[in-house]
Amino acid sequence: MTVQTGERQYQNTGLFSDGADLDDEDYISPTIRCVLFRLDNENFGINVKKIREVLRVGVIRKVPGSSPNVIGVINVRGVIVTVVDTRRVYGLPSKPSDELSRIIIVELDEDRAVGLMVDKVQEVKDIPESRVDLMAATREGASGYIQGIAHYQDNVIILVDTDNMFVER
Amino acid sequence: MDEEILQDFLVEATELLDQLNEQLVDLENSPDDSDLLNAIFRGFHTIKGGAGFLGVVPLIEICHRAENVFDKIRNHEVAYDADAADVILRAFDKVSQIIGLLNDGEREIEDTEPELLDELDAIYKPVANQDVAEETAEEMPSEPAESVEVELTLPEGVDPDGDMTDEEFDALLAQRAQKTAEVSSDGDVVEPNLSLPEGVDPDGDITDEEFEALLAQRDQLMTESPKATSQTVQQAEPSLTLPEGVDPDGDMTDEEFDALLAQREQITSKPSAPKAEVKTPAKKPTEAPAKPKAKPASPAKKVDAKKEEPAEKAKPSGDSTVRVDTRRLDEIMNLVGELVLVRNRLLTLRSADASIEEISNAVANLDHVTTDLQTSVMKTRMQPVKKVFGRFPRVVRDLARKLGKDIELELKGEETDLDKNLVEALADPLVHLVRNSVDHGIEMPEDRLASGKAKVGKIVLGAEQEGDHILLSITDDGKGMDADLLRRKAVEKGVMDEAAARQLDDKQAFMLIMAAGFSTAEKVSDISGRGVGMDVVKNMITKLNGSIDIDSAMGQGTQIRIRVPLTLAILPTLMVSFGEDSYAIPLTSVQEIFDYNPDKTNNIDGQKMVRLREQSIPLFFLSDWLAPDVEKESYQGDKVVIVAIGNQRVGLVVEQVNGQEEVVIKPLGLMLHKVSGYAGATITGNGSIALILDLPGLVERFQ
Repeated sequence: MTVQTGERQYQNTGLFSDGADLDDEDYISPTIRCVLFRLDNENFGINVKKIREVLRVGVIRKVPGSSPNVIGVINVRGVIVTVVDTRRVYGLPSKPSDELSRIIIVELDEDRAVGLMVDKVQEVKDIPESRVDLMAATREGASGYIQGIAHYQDNVIILVDTDNMFVER
Repeated sequence: MDEEILQDFLVEATELLDQLNEQLVDLENSPDDSDLLNAIFRGFHTIKGGAGFLGVVPLIEICHRAENVFDKIRNHEVAYDADAADVILRAFDKVSQIIGLLNDGEREIEDTEPELLDELDAIYKPVANQDVAEETAEEMPSEPAESVEVELTLPEGVDPDGDMTDEEFDALLAQRAQKTAEVSSDGDVVEPNLSLPEGVDPDGDITDEEFEALLAQRDQLMTESPKATSQTVQQAEPSLTLPEGVDPDGDMTDEEFDALLAQREQITSKPSAPKAEVKTPAKKPTEAPAKPKAKPASPAKKVDAKKEEPAEKAKPSGDSTVRVDTRRLDEIMNLVGELVLVRNRLLTLRSADASIEEISNAVANLDHVTTDLQTSVMKTRMQPVKKVFGRFPRVVRDLARKLGKDIELELKGEETDLDKNLVEALADPLVHLVRNSVDHGIEMPEDRLASGKAKVGKIVLGAEQEGDHILLSITDDGKGMDADLLRRKAVEKGVMDEAAARQLDDKQAFMLIMAAGFSTAEKVSDISGRGVGMDVVKNMITKLNGSIDIDSAMGQGTQIRIRVPLTLAILPTLMVSFGEDSYAIPLTSVQEIFDYNPDKTNNIDGQKMVRLREQSIPLFFLSDWLAPDVEKESYQGDKVVIVAIGNQRVGLVVEQVNGQEEVVIKPLGLMLHKVSGYAGATITGNGSIALILDLPGLVERFQ
């Protein structure tokens, strides 16, 4: 069965204690609201505006012959959505999903969505824009999948560039 | 330019162009059909009106001239012969092109080549000059007709600018009434004519039809007035020539119009006053027959257009919209209502202790409603095949003229409904096939006569529904295909060796023309013969899950039949599976299914083949591709599904065959579009995902 329980859920792992050491600057400057997730020990963030929902992992239908970065397809209320092995996209070895694994459904545009399989979803966080270093063209041969890096509350958060991730090359 | 108005205009213009396209070709066959002439005149006129309002000058210029031409034609002053038709058709093409550009978002339209405009002018100008040259009494009946025509076109010329308000129109009428009333004793005759238009006018929208209707009414009234004298007619002349000088510029402003009226007033204020009435009675003989006929035709069209507009307004491009009969929508609404009732029933049953029987009744009901709903919704996507067929009279006409052939095209079953997507997808292949029939099928007139056939060749384009398929056929009574020549060519081109070629039966030989790079044309023309085209046709039809079949008899003609499913959205499939994973094979391709038997297979040149009734068919072991991780010891118990792909047959070896299922095709998501072998995915009855196999892609994968 590939029918998903479409329940949204975010787990607060207490990684970021709210209001601990906020500068005045952080309150004033505009922020980016992100859903944070983990792959191994790294924190990643995706702008919430891009996210339609977060799903538990159900049955994923394999598509023989597809790219190794594609795990398969799932049925999200009648729409076939590709599930991407986010670990492989960022150069990490694949691993089977467990009960913490989630699929983040990212909306690329009105009629294209994709599922990102992640190790676990943590929380929603407002990151001040001033804390984000954009990656654009800073590094030769950078994987086009990183929008920038945010240093915030003693953590390094890698911001996922969903727009470029799925430009069909 | 106001975008919204522009879009409305484009939708309307596109519709008009479709009609014009047909009408123009029809006209050549019956050049005296005044209904047709009026309809065409109106078509160009309406486009000109819209273009004038939006300020698309090149469009106005062409339409205006075309309008003039047809005005002359319908007054029997110019004949619509093949040469005139060529020019008019080119003008029509230009108009289509401009509308196309506007549709594509282009807003700056280049000026039309002056040659085209000149040629258009040339059709009707010489006659006009003649008229001026010989002012004989015999000419009078037609001359005054023009003068009235000018009166007609003048207000119409103003109309498109959007500046013609009711008041202005009233004012004009009032002016005229005054004039005529002052001088003539016919004032009482004019009076009723005045009051009638006023009754219509206050509605705010004076359409061309209404205006013409008014004039027609006036004509009737005027017939009662016996005041036709030759002197007054002659004096009418100056008012004639003046408007004509101004008119062709296309830009008739209110001031100009007023000026013209003023001029006329001057003329009429002289003793020769009764001119206004004199002109009209004279006009009757030519105009009267045309007008009453025009009216019944055009209002009907207007109503149609109005009704459809709201539906089309939402989207800018006409292509993405479908027109749906409101009755059909009511039907759907009704069924949705039923569906809600069944849901409520099921919800109640869920909470209560329901008996199996009650539940199964409710489910049966649900089955009923959804099936009906599916049919109804599918019908909303259906369009008459006429949409595609409509362009062919023109295609055949142009081509036949170019090749110097005489060809009659007959359309059959134009009202057959077909899925909108299919209608669009079929257009190109059909054009290819029809062009082929015209070019290769039908012989030159002299050859036809020599072989004892009628001089005029005949092509029949037919459509009919055949169960859940549509059968399209292109039949010509031309020279037919020579199967032996095709076999020879196949060997020459290295498509196959002689032995293989000799084995082909005639039908298989005919199918050779569908192979890429295969052409029997001795000389390559710009119409066909390059050997591309037929394979494109075959691929497109295969993509639509359709099939092609060719029949031909030497000297008698060729028939090409295309079968396509009614709709692309729902696909009957054969479900097969490997372990847990199920796959759907389009049922139209499936020919037969039997048990895999290793004794009946041979290994020929590295390719496993299965023997089936004296033929060896290549076997593709799908598990190699679809379940590569599974070590397969033996294929004992597996099934072989024989499928036809184009004119090739292959056997697919699958683990299980689970039966037929109608599936809704859903596109595979991101990053999977390029994986060959899949046509999409679907959700099966048990809720899991099945992948739909794309057979041409699959064959590529295995070769």
